[in-house]
Amino acid sequence: MTLARIGVFVCHCGENISATVDCAKVAAEAAKLPGVAHSVDYKYMCSDPGQQLIQSAIREKGLTGVVVAACSPRMHEPTFRRACAEAGLNPFLCEMANIREHCSWVHEKGEATTAKALDIVRTLVAKVKKGKPLQPIQVPVTKTALVLGGGIAGIQASLDIANAGHRVILVEKEPSIGGHMAQLSETFPTLDCSQCILTPRMVEVAQHPNITLYSYSELEGLEGFIGNFKARIRRKARGLDETLCTGCGLCTQKCPTRRIPSEFDAGLGLRPAIYVPFPQAVPNKPVIDRDHCTYFLKGKCRLCEKVCPTQAIRFDQEDEIVEAEVGAVVLATGFDIKHGDFFPEYGYGRFQDVIDGLQFERLASASGPTLGEIRRPSDGKVPETVVFVACAGSRDPAKGIEYCSKICCMYTAKHAMLYKHKVHQGKPFVFYMDIRAGGKMYEEFVRRAMEEDGVQYVRGRVSRIYERGGKLVVKGADTLLGARPLEIEADLVVLATAAVANAGAEDLAQKLHVSYDAHAFFAEAHPKLRPVETNTAGIFLAGACQAPKDIPDSVSQASGAAAKVAALFSRSELVREPLVAVVDRQAPPVYSSCVGCFLCQGACPYQAIEKEEIRNRDGGLIKTVAKVNPGLCQGCGTCVALCRTKSIDIQGYSHEQVYAEVLALLNRGEGDA
Amino acid sequence: MKALQDKARELLAGGAVQVVIGYGRGSAAAARAVFVREASAVDALVLDETCLQNLAVYLRKPEVRRLGKAALVAIPAVLRTILQLAAENQVSDGSLIALAVTPSGGEVVPLATLDAVEKHVAGLDFPRGAAEEAELRKFAEMGLQERRSFWEEQFSRCLKCYACRAACPLCYCERCTVECNQPQWIPVPAHDLGNLEWNVMRAMHLAGRCVDCGDCSRACPVGIPLQLLNRRLVDEVYERFAFRSGMAVHGENAMSTFKPDDPEDFIR
Repeated sequence: MTLARIGVFVCHCGENISATVDCAKVAAEAAKLPGVAHSVDYKYMCSDPGQQLIQSAIREKGLTGVVVAACSPRMHEPTFRRACAEAGLNPFLCEMANIREHCSWVHEKGEATTAKALDIVRTLVAKVKKGKPLQPIQVPVTKTALVLGGGIAGIQASLDIANAGHRVILVEKEPSIGGHMAQLSETFPTLDCSQCILTPRMVEVAQHPNITLYSYSELEGLEGFIGNFKARIRRKARGLDETLCTGCGLCTQKCPTRRIPSEFDAGLGLRPAIYVPFPQAVPNKPVIDRDHCTYFLKGKCRLCEKVCPTQAIRFDQEDEIVEAEVGAVVLATGFDIKHGDFFPEYGYGRFQDVIDGLQFERLASASGPTLGEIRRPSDGKVPETVVFVACAGSRDPAKGIEYCSKICCMYTAKHAMLYKHKVHQGKPFVFYMDIRAGGKMYEEFVRRAMEEDGVQYVRGRVSRIYERGGKLVVKGADTLLGARPLEIEADLVVLATAAVANAGAEDLAQKLHVSYDAHAFFAEAHPKLRPVETNTAGIFLAGACQAPKDIPDSVSQASGAAAKVAALFSRSELVREPLVAVVDRQAPPVYSSCVGCFLCQGACPYQAIEKEEIRNRDGGLIKTVAKVNPGLCQGCGTCVALCRTKSIDIQGYSHEQVYAEVLALLNRGEGDA
Repeated sequence: MKALQDKARELLAGGAVQVVIGYGRGSAAAARAVFVREASAVDALVLDETCLQNLAVYLRKPEVRRLGKAALVAIPAVLRTILQLAAENQVSDGSLIALAVTPSGGEVVPLATLDAVEKHVAGLDFPRGAAEEAELRKFAEMGLQERRSFWEEQFSRCLKCYACRAACPLCYCERCTVECNQPQWIPVPAHDLGNLEWNVMRAMHLAGRCVDCGDCSRACPVGIPLQLLNRRLVDEVYERFAFRSGMAVHGENAMSTFKPDDPEDFIR
């Protein structure tokens, strides 16, 4: 081993550091530290001449390690490591001493500040002296993406990835893709028909040679790591042979069980027990609802089987588990809206004519149960007065939902407008807290509802809704008119109920080891700079599973996620920093100091620890010890802290390095500087 | 005692095991471990109130393993140790037969599988004596400073002889933290700081694993009440995680289990 020849490079960062730290003094004092062969300061170390300063010192003085005393490693560590590598020094023998965020920015000018900067340099010099050259880790990439959820976000992500030339497996839990967007009548702010813009995309998905669609399927489990996931997908039994079914629909017409509330029509329409959710469904293959089918309940009927011209019905079909290797996952599982007895004060679930936003969409939709006529559910009458209640549940800490559901202001304006367009003499009222119409052409859209379509906006909240003489009495207050109490007799009330995470979101997040917030929306890696990535490498987010979102936002995010996936798939091997945990291996007869207790295994948040059997040349087992999968390890160090025999070490942050750093601080002044 | 000797004779004569690890008569009326390898030698086995040592400590010793399959005379604490060792992948199913006994005599229950041990342990009580409860209560009532000086006084007598480590069946590591010298985390000399670090480190390494057998205290030549420290941690782990070590073959470890749904309210 050669003697350490460390170079210290102190950066002024313009005045960011030099305003409070005496950089020249830090450099001069650092030069006296044992092992330091070169020490200089410079105004902008990250600039081209600054980097050349480092590179020429490496070449001319034969440096064995470099400490750059400058900003946070998150800022410029890659810059300086690259510069060192170009000059022939292993990049992991370059360390950053953060004397900006950790020192100059948080302290006043003075001797103590300069002394602290020197202390930080001192620890990093001690660390780099114990550093080892490391090689980057190469991980192979399976160029197939798994997209979970076939709503507009999942459809967009699938198409973008597939069009980039990569294979996609799209998993949708419902019998058809399309998601909530397929249920909508028109879309804001253009009022173009939702189905008309969506269904061509759905067909494109079905016909795309790169996309495998598993509808009526759910993710059973996911193992592995970025580039190398193994997915298990449960294909729920449809009750028919999809290769034989032509989608003629005869079975759905003949099915005798016909009075089941249709999920697609938000409970306002009815469907048979063997059904296609809606006529434009993709794939256009029915599903037998085993909870309602007479044959599954009573053991006889089988009428669908008799009428099927291709003998495609399979009553004995069972769920099938499909395994697939994928390199990336896009989560696009969408959202739900709040239902049921969440609003006892509004009588939602009790009064038939108090409905939610999705139900209104079905009433307004040309494909809906009323064929697009606005007729109220109770008696089919065209309502003369409709009250729309925005923020039903949202922005209400008392209800446990503090957040804004984001889409309600816009769709409520759209609903009121659509109602007015269809019922010219009708009187729409909107109760609102604030109007949030940030978005291209959004404010103009709401203005149009107010000014051109004569929708009455009342700023205030609704306290109660009750029935009186066949009318729904909406009690509220107009807070712009001195909180004047207000009573409106309505024929129909539409609640813009809060957008919430899907019921299974939490389970799914745990299955995928993705973090989620208090409301079970999936968490992005960084709210501003990494909005489509999760904290688990290789798993991306698209659409309303991350937070309530409208269609344009969902589509943009889906394309963003697709771009990330395409970038990941652009190379056949993934290069990762080697800052991972490694389990001790040594010469026989010890082989490893690991005793194989595997307490580290349960502690690892990334399932990166595997069992390795060390065998002799006859194949006899010598011992079973832990091994870290470098593709999975994120270098968090939890296992290192737990290991009683100190058999695990993190490369680049080894026990020896950390210990040397601590000692450098404790022993300062004793013999070194 | 007779029942135990008969069972041992049967197992050895039939070749079901190659060694019976049990208690024999030691010096000064104390019991000591004996390793009976012949059916004719089973008379050396004794069982009485002095039989307290945790014989599971021998299960991981290579020289004992080389003797072949063992039958282990197992008082209740030993049975829990076997389960804890199994949970830590240190004993495998079928590698031993536990002969469940109580020091006061009674029947001998041979348990040939780890599942059988788990079932048997589920039916046992692990009561604490009044004196033990009183000692814990007295300790709990001490203030932080008082506790610190109590242990400093106790540890000042520690010789770093590592008898506690040798006696403890869960101190099976082939390389102990104190033997890691690159870097030397725990100083070698028996001075105050080093003693404190060693004993606190050992207690932390046993947190959530210790089965409260008490061999550490019995082994300590200078009478440091080490079991008090471990017992206090046993209680702490139970209060926080409702977890008891050595109760299940596939038991998790309270101190090292990552759960994505952990509320983590201590850092909010």
